[in-house]
Amino acid sequence: MLAVSNLTVNYGEVQAVDSISIKVKAGELVSITGANGAGKSSMLNAIAGICAVASGKIVFAGEDITGLRAHQIVKKGIVQVPEGRQLFATLTVRENLLAGRYSNSGFLLDKVIPDSLVQRFPALGERLDLLGSSLSGGQAQMLALARGLMNHPEVLLLDEPTLGLAPIAVKEVFDLIAELRDQGLTILVVEQNVRQALAISDYAYVLESGRIVMQGKGGELLNNSRLVESYLGAARAI
Amino acid sequence: MPNDYLLTVISNIGMISLIALSAYLLLISGEISFGQQAYFGISAYAGAIATTLWGWPLWLALLFGSSLAALAAGFVGLLTLRISGLYFSIATLAFAEMVRLSLFKLTYQIEIDGELIGPNGAEGFGEIRWIFDNDVSVLEYTLLIYGILLLVLFFLVLIERSRLGMIFRMLGQDPLLTRVQGLNPVRYKVTAAILAGFIAGLGGTLYAHSFTYIEPQIFNMMLGVHALAYGLIGGLGTVLGPLIGVAIDIGFLESVRVIQGYRMVVFGGLVALMLIFMPRGIFDEKRVYWLKSIARRWFRA
Repeated sequence: MLAVSNLTVNYGEVQAVDSISIKVKAGELVSITGANGAGKSSMLNAIAGICAVASGKIVFAGEDITGLRAHQIVKKGIVQVPEGRQLFATLTVRENLLAGRYSNSGFLLDKVIPDSLVQRFPALGERLDLLGSSLSGGQAQMLALARGLMNHPEVLLLDEPTLGLAPIAVKEVFDLIAELRDQGLTILVVEQNVRQALAISDYAYVLESGRIVMQGKGGELLNNSRLVESYLGAARAI
Repeated sequence: MPNDYLLTVISNIGMISLIALSAYLLLISGEISFGQQAYFGISAYAGAIATTLWGWPLWLALLFGSSLAALAAGFVGLLTLRISGLYFSIATLAFAEMVRLSLFKLTYQIEIDGELIGPNGAEGFGEIRWIFDNDVSVLEYTLLIYGILLLVLFFLVLIERSRLGMIFRMLGQDPLLTRVQGLNPVRYKVTAAILAGFIAGLGGTLYAHSFTYIEPQIFNMMLGVHALAYGLIGGLGTVLGPLIGVAIDIGFLESVRVIQGYRMVVFGGLVALMLIFMPRGIFDEKRVYWLKSIARRWFRA
C-alpha cells in the first residue's frame, strides 16, 4: 500500500535519513523505532509532505506521491498525527475534532461529531465544549488521534504518540492503536517506547543515524538479543 | 441633536474601525501587517477620483475603491506567501510606504467649473464634494458609515462562524498543524489578505468623502500601527475587539481634555502594558470562551 524506496532527507548539510526503504501493507501496523535523532520523525515528515525529499521515491496505492505537499497528501488518504499531542489550544474539543475534516466540507460549519467517534472516545465526548487546552496529556493525545480519524484516512501516520504520557495513558494509546489496526486501518507509527510498540506491530524497522539497522516481525524483534541489549535493556534499567 | 464635533468623532470611530477590523482579520490568521493603511489610502484616492472626477455615485465608488484595494492586497498576499512573522510585517510596511510615496507623485487633475480638481502630489486632493453636492448632512453620513460598519460586522461574524473563519484561526495558531489537516495555507492566506484589503478599502473611500480632503501623509505608518494596536488592545477573541480598541483610543483618549496633547504617550504606554500583561487583548480567545460559557449557563437557567 505504501512503499518508500531509497529515501534520503537532508537538513542543510546534515543527512537525517540515509537511503531508507520500507513497505507498509494494507491493514498492517508497522513501527519505526530507534533512539533520539535516528531520523524516525524526519522519515515520517517526508512521507507526510512536511519536509523535502532529497532523493528516493514514495509510492502510495500505486501512485508516486514524492514531492507532493502536505495538504495534497492528506487528500490522497495519508493523515499524520504530529508529535507532541498538538492541538489548537484556543479551539474547543469539538472544533479541534472538526478541524480534521475541514478539507472536505463546504462554507458552513457542521458542528456534528459522528456518534461512532464519541463512543470510541468517551472522555472526549464528555468534554466536547471545553477548550482543547483544558485536557490532560492523555486526553490531548486521544484528541489528536481522534482528529486524525475524522478525515477517514487510509493510512494513519503516528509520530511518537506516547511521548511524555503517564504509564496508564501509554497503555490506553497502544490499546487504541492495536484496536484500529484490528479494524483494518493501516498504521505507520514512530515510537521510542520500543517494547510496547514491537508487541503490537506486524512489522518493525529499527533506525540508527538515519539508516535501517534491523527489521523484522514485531514479535521476532522483541527476542532479538542485539535489540534487547541496545534498547530494551536500557528501558528495563529505567 | 449631537453637535458636529461629536458626530465627527463618532464617524471617525466608525471609519477607523474598518481599518482596525482589516488588521484584526489578518491578526487572527497569524499575520501582523503594518501595511493596511496602503489599502485604506488606495481606496480613498480611487473612490474620491470616481465620485469627484468621473461623477460616479458613492456606492459604485465604494465598490471600485475597495475592489482595487482588495486586488492590491491579494497581490501583496501572493508576493509574501513564503514569508511570515517579522519578515511579513516588514514587507507589508515596505509596500505601504511604496504606495504612500507613489501618491506624492500622483497627479491626475481635470478642469471642473473652471478649476483644476484631482490629486496633485504632495498638495493632496481637495474638493471631494460628494456630500455637499448631494446635500448629505453630517448625521446622515455618520449613519451611512455605521450602516456599512454593521454590514461588515455581520459579514465577519458570519465568517467567524463558518469553516473559513475556523481555518483562519487554525492558521493563526499553528500553520503546520493546519497543513496536516489537508488544508492549503496559500489559499486561505490570500483569501484573508483580499478580504482585509476590501474592508480597509471601505474605510478609505468613506474617509475621503467625510473629510473632503486627503493627502499622502495621512496614510503613513502611524495609521497602520494604530489599526494593528486596536485589535491587540480590544482583543483577538471577538470581532468586537478592534472596535473596543478604537473606542478607547479615539472615543476616550482623544475626547478627554486632561490628556490632550499626551494622547500618543498614553496610547503608546497602554499598548506596551497590554502586550506585556494581555498579549492577545482584553477580550482574548479564553476570556471570550469564558464569557460565552457564562452566557450559555445563564440562558439555560
